[in-house]
Amino acid sequence: MTSPLLDVEDLSKRFGGFVAVDGVSLSVKPGERLGLIGPNGSGKSTLVNCICGTLHHESGSVRFEGRALDGLPAHQRTRLGIARSFQLPRPFTSMSVMENVRIPLLYTVNARPGPKQSARAIEERCAELIQLVGLAGKARKWPRDLTQVEMRKLELARAMAAEPKLLIADEAMAGLSHSEIDDILALLMRLNERGITIILIEHIMRAVMSFSQRVVVLVSAKKIADAPPERIIQDPEVVRAYLGQ
Amino acid sequence: MRSPVFFVVALVVGAVVFAASRYVENEYFFFAGYVVLQFIVLATAWNILGGYCGYVNFGSAAFFALGAYATVTIHKLYPMPIPVLMLVGGVVSGIVGFATGYLTLRLRGAFFAIATLALAVVLQTLIINWDFVGGARGAYVIRPNSFPLLGSYIQYLFGMMLLLTVISVAGARAIERSRLGYGFATIRDDELAAEASGVPTLRLKLIATTISGALMGMAGAPFPYYIGYVEPGTAFGLAYAVNSIAMPMIGGTTSWIGPVIGAILLGTVQQVATVTISSAVNLLIVGILLVDFVIIAPNGIVGLVRDRRIGSTTVEPTVFVLLYVLNLLPTIFLAKQGQAAQSIGLVFWAILFFVTYARGRMIGRVWLMVFPWIGAGLSLVPVTSETPVVSTVVLWSQGVAWLAIDPPTAVLIVSLVIQVIGMIYGAALERRTPAMTTP
Repeated sequence: MTSPLLDVEDLSKRFGGFVAVDGVSLSVKPGERLGLIGPNGSGKSTLVNCICGTLHHESGSVRFEGRALDGLPAHQRTRLGIARSFQLPRPFTSMSVMENVRIPLLYTVNARPGPKQSARAIEERCAELIQLVGLAGKARKWPRDLTQVEMRKLELARAMAAEPKLLIADEAMAGLSHSEIDDILALLMRLNERGITIILIEHIMRAVMSFSQRVVVLVSAKKIADAPPERIIQDPEVVRAYLGQ
Repeated sequence: MRSPVFFVVALVVGAVVFAASRYVENEYFFFAGYVVLQFIVLATAWNILGGYCGYVNFGSAAFFALGAYATVTIHKLYPMPIPVLMLVGGVVSGIVGFATGYLTLRLRGAFFAIATLALAVVLQTLIINWDFVGGARGAYVIRPNSFPLLGSYIQYLFGMMLLLTVISVAGARAIERSRLGYGFATIRDDELAAEASGVPTLRLKLIATTISGALMGMAGAPFPYYIGYVEPGTAFGLAYAVNSIAMPMIGGTTSWIGPVIGAILLGTVQQVATVTISSAVNLLIVGILLVDFVIIAPNGIVGLVRDRRIGSTTVEPTVFVLLYVLNLLPTIFLAKQGQAAQSIGLVFWAILFFVTYARGRMIGRVWLMVFPWIGAGLSLVPVTSETPVVSTVVLWSQGVAWLAIDPPTAVLIVSLVIQVIGMIYGAALERRTPAMTTP
């Protein structure tokens, strides 16, 4: 058995008296596609924030490639290879689409040990990424001129620009149409084929079930199930807590 | 243009300005020019943290004063040449900038601003109680009368400040276009997203506070030699804190040219106001202009030119009328200060024209512009503002209550009344008919 890429052990996070994540353990193998589902307020985003370093958890630990991440600031985790997209798109509003994508190349890819990419190589890589997510015609546009779908694509392009080993897509498809969801799923699938491990957080069951190899269910800050999708939909506890009865 | 090339060009421009200034006979030009240059440096320095990173620093005066007091200290111990003093002032303020940043940069928004304000108060209290540099009494620094080759010492100070201006402006421009500048901009836009993209936000913010603080300290270092007598009240003066915020805001905070434009514009107006009216009027002018720009052009002059768009708040009729009245007040006040002050009055008349023009276009009633023209005509043109016939007619129309007022004032009041009525009428018309939405 291969050692896990990401290993979350007994992680807890509280906001004052409110326990947002309660002793969650989770491990992800390299190259895996993991779905993370749960009702609103079940702690999915908080868990992601703790993994990425946006929030600091009180107890438990997060290990990435065997290395403990506890206490590391978010940017260093990005440099180690954990990239994320935000639930609500957070573009850099004073920069063009192209420049948005350039930031992780400048600050993550070029900050890693090894040879630095030249300005021209970065430029080409930006264009390539923008092409990949389907924003080719919008490279010089400002985020305020983008639609919601395009904004989410930009969010993904920026996460991909960091050349991550693990990509966490936090509700990248909320509010999108059927065909747009298929677009993004196909994109994530292609990334996965290139060897990038993906954690997909989503409400849209159709997307999660078709994409994930394994699904983790959070309810009220606790993990209640961790199984392949076909078993998840039969799990009586999941059905009761999440799908409703 | 590449940054080294720009630096050379800026250096040449600086040299030309300095060479040209040698032909200026009036010594006062150098005193006034020095202040304007000093404000360009301060505004540029403020903008590196405030404009690029989005962290508002209210404590500019403290960094400036530290530079000045570093010079006072050295002057007491062992006098050294100005360039050395600038370096020392820069190092001292840079270190304090770094320390302040380390202590406060975990705070965001208003909390950071308050912390910097507190820093200024703490440092001022320390200086007041430090007897070696004069404490509350202040300290005299005797300026040499002349400088070899250049002649007068003030020309030398002017030259040094010009050099510092070139360095800081070229530096700010280089930062803006570098990897560092991109990093700063991500902090301004969204710190969480910046971290997620691998930007070490805390480190970049510390770099920004250090550079910003150091430049302010360098601007303050020659100050004791310029002024001759330093006391905490002047060195920590409100004018430095307010101006170093107002100038980039008026010029535009996102690019290097904004603070330069703002500082030249505002600095010159203030110098003219100091000579023609009084030095106390400065802050009044800055205050009104700041309100204007926040409403009309939140992105400063640079933003106005670039976006060709006027701030959305002018859409609100009441805001527009208040803005109009606010700008009328200084025109009336300045008109009473005699002919010399009228040149500053023109700034406000220009704003009134602009506001009414923009407003008129927005709501499809360009004739609104007539009102400031009438007002300016009545109060600026000597024929109407001083002719007894016009004044008398105006006086009659005003009734006996105003008979005691001198004719120019009466004309002004009439112009005020006409304009206010016009603006309110315009606003009322708009209420009744739906406004056109396209500008």
